[in-house]
Amino acid sequence: MFSSFRLSMTWLHTWFGLVLGFVLMICFFFGALSVFDREIDRWAIPETRFDPQPMPSFDNMLLPILQQVEPDAEDYADNMPGYHDASQGPMTPRLALPVEEYWAYTTHRDPVLIMGAGFGVPHPKDPDAHNHIHGNVTIDPRTGALISSDALKIGSRWFYPMHYSLNWQWKNLGYWLVGLASLGMLVALVSGVVIHRKLFREFFTFRPKKQPQRSTLDLHNMTGVVALPFHFFFAFTGLVIFASWLYFPVSSTLLEPLHLQHEAQEATATGLPHKPAGVAAPLASVDAMVAEAKRRWAARDMAGEVGYLTVTHVGDVNGYVSVYRAGSDRVALIGEGIHFNASTGEVLYEDPPRSVVSEINEFLTGLHLQHFEHWLLRWLYVIGGLLGSVCIATGFIFFVGKRKRQLAEAGSQGARAVDAVAVATVTGIVIAAVAMLVANRLLPAELVGKGEWEKAAFWGAWVLTFVHAAWRSAPVARARFNPAWREQCWAVAGLAIAAVLLNWITTGDHLIKTVVTDTYWPVAGVDLSLLATAGLAIVAARQLARRERVGIPDSVAAGGAEATVYSSVKAGHG
Amino acid sequence: MLNPSHVSVINRVSAALFGGYAFAWGFAAFFVAGLVGLGIDFHEAETAAMLLAFILYLCLFIWAFAAANLARVWTVLGGGAVFMVVAAWGLQHYLVS
Repeated sequence: MFSSFRLSMTWLHTWFGLVLGFVLMICFFFGALSVFDREIDRWAIPETRFDPQPMPSFDNMLLPILQQVEPDAEDYADNMPGYHDASQGPMTPRLALPVEEYWAYTTHRDPVLIMGAGFGVPHPKDPDAHNHIHGNVTIDPRTGALISSDALKIGSRWFYPMHYSLNWQWKNLGYWLVGLASLGMLVALVSGVVIHRKLFREFFTFRPKKQPQRSTLDLHNMTGVVALPFHFFFAFTGLVIFASWLYFPVSSTLLEPLHLQHEAQEATATGLPHKPAGVAAPLASVDAMVAEAKRRWAARDMAGEVGYLTVTHVGDVNGYVSVYRAGSDRVALIGEGIHFNASTGEVLYEDPPRSVVSEINEFLTGLHLQHFEHWLLRWLYVIGGLLGSVCIATGFIFFVGKRKRQLAEAGSQGARAVDAVAVATVTGIVIAAVAMLVANRLLPAELVGKGEWEKAAFWGAWVLTFVHAAWRSAPVARARFNPAWREQCWAVAGLAIAAVLLNWITTGDHLIKTVVTDTYWPVAGVDLSLLATAGLAIVAARQLARRERVGIPDSVAAGGAEATVYSSVKAGHG
Repeated sequence: MLNPSHVSVINRVSAALFGGYAFAWGFAAFFVAGLVGLGIDFHEAETAAMLLAFILYLCLFIWAFAAANLARVWTVLGGGAVFMVVAAWGLQHYLVS
């Protein structure tokens, strides 16, 4: 099929890059925004604009709230029929499900506390599977007040899952598509290196004044090569994070018996019961257990705060409480778990030091998830993510530019479609994200289902950008330039400025206040990044207009514009 | 209609994507069962298998495109996958008492 190794790699790079590039763009762009997901949450939910708090008292505040948590109606409707064994009678009603576990989680960037309960399924099809219907709540840890579930956390619950699941849960297809795209990214990187060979020189080569195709390709090569380790690392660790759950689920399929045997042996070795005993028992003071855990961490010379707390087999004599230390000061998310008997409060087990394999794994995946405190690294991640976006965008533009003239001469319309999709994935993605923030500020906070309306605004804006790009794409078939690129840059600028102004009008948090008089960096950072985005979009739009007027056929202007748009960020420094 | 060059592209992409995945899947299962058989902790073995499986998949993917003889690619990937899945299953049978 191919006459040489290099030709086979060129084919791979071109076609896998084109087909999967659109998905990769979503991963990289929303991944870059996810670095500041908690800060975007603060911007979107004004009543949560306060400082991060330590875990509050479990006995006095969290437990009474957890006891009120109900199984989520949507989770119940989606999953109960799959878990329940119909041959043993009808499904247990939602509100009659027995609670089996509690959990609470907080990070050094999160003022709010998220927690929830897991409810058991009394007659499961597969008793060994994880049969839980969940119910989650978000609270203000200063007062215990619930944050309405209609207040969508746009950063951590929309942009963040967008970058690994496309927010497409059906059959986990979003995850599969992202997984395929990540593998495609790894393949594109390897094949790209094979195609180019002159890596060192490309590191320093960018000729913006050269012929259009040449400078687009320069930018593609430079952004690909400069951040090569970054791109490889994120695509690879992203796959590893979901590997044992979804991509290679050997322990829940073929090797399930071996896994269950291991769980049972481990339960014996650690003294942490694998199953409830069916005998009721009260819950001792969890605050006392937290105090003991902190004392033990301090004794190991690693004093710290609680990051994650779970109660397993709630209300059963086999129940136990696990207290994990927050990993804000190192790469691993959480760790040093100490486990207590839930009814007596005595220590059952302390997690042993990690093995080498686990350390490697936690280091790699922890670096991807980066929940630790390191603001410089956070910004480097944003830059890396945006460099990746530029690399993918210039790849599209090079592809279209290369074929446009030939296709135009042949009278084909094929390039129009690719160009329209490229517009929608480059400027369109930014418009969708910023339009969602604008909708967030325009819709009243008490609106029922506010989060759903915001999601509708996001998808609606995105679809519109595609329709607009397709409608304006006629010049592409004449080997000319699609004016939608320029027009959408103006839309980005307008929306971003509107978002900043609306934040001021609706909350009173203008930049002088959030930067100088009453400093609150999460909100100031989002506002400043929006303004930077607007500024760069304007520069890009003007440059595109000049190119169109002069009549330079196209793609270099778009290439430059992409670089400008994407070197902007819409996130905050907290 | 599909012409021969389309068929050959589809064949090669399928070999890389599905053949490579099946082989990596089989490897992960066999590696975990094998290490557990050698007395290594299950989750340790699983973690190591996940880290290696994607590197392996990537190499197989590139190989499937670079290889001259596609029939051999299919034989190695398919045969290897079946062999390792069966071996993992057999090992598990022996290990679970």
